[in-house]
Amino acid sequence: MTIDARLPSDVELVPGAIKGWLKQLGPLKLNEDAVFGLQLCLQEALINAIRHGHQDNKALTVHCSIVADPQQIMIEVADQGKGFDVNAVPDPTAAENIGKGHGRGIYLIRQTMDEVAFLNGGRTIRMVMKLKGGRTGGH
Amino acid sequence: MDIKLEKINDIQLIVLDGELNMESTHKFKETFKAILKERNAKVIIDFAKVPFIDSSGIAALIEVCQNLGKVNARACLCHVNKKIVNVFEITKVHKLFKIFESHQEALRSF
Repeated sequence: MTIDARLPSDVELVPGAIKGWLKQLGPLKLNEDAVFGLQLCLQEALINAIRHGHQDNKALTVHCSIVADPQQIMIEVADQGKGFDVNAVPDPTAAENIGKGHGRGIYLIRQTMDEVAFLNGGRTIRMVMKLKGGRTGGH
Repeated sequence: MDIKLEKINDIQLIVLDGELNMESTHKFKETFKAILKERNAKVIIDFAKVPFIDSSGIAALIEVCQNLGKVNARACLCHVNKKIVNVFEITKVHKLFKIFESHQEALRSF
């Protein structure tokens, strides 16, 4: 199953788009935790692309592709921005950062997905969720 | 997100209904404006009907709790589902909040 979408850089469109894509993944019978994790990672990746990659420039579009099979779901979110150095992102769980109001998105993605890679100078994030090990069996 | 305010004696109960995400954080933060004018307020934020939170929601929650602390208000959360508790724990922000399983436990904490 493949989903290929281009989303205008409008954060208000993000939750609805994600819910539509998750509905399309219904045949995989993902359990609640897997759906929650996918929703979280898609939300964080898309918001990062719109807010940081595109500076909320609605003329730019974010490209999202989701390729799913019974073994795994691979998601790529690509923006048209300047890119960034993922190694320069501070650890949000460091004592001095825990109370800060930003900087948790990439960390949440890394903690939730099985594989995460940044490509094209940080303009594309590739995330893989493996489906073996109790992530299916939902309704 | 729908937000209902109830009073239990001198304690302000805030019942959230919906996702705490980029879309709802503005409304969530606005809800606390009046409470932030009181000193020593006691606040319970009920998460029973919150199915999802993202990093924007976490940031809003931290901001609200920090602002309540500045006016000597005390706040706690209750009925937080396990998936959201897990998000709090992996980001370590659970250290910033008092989380109780029920209203009763939260009420007893004041």
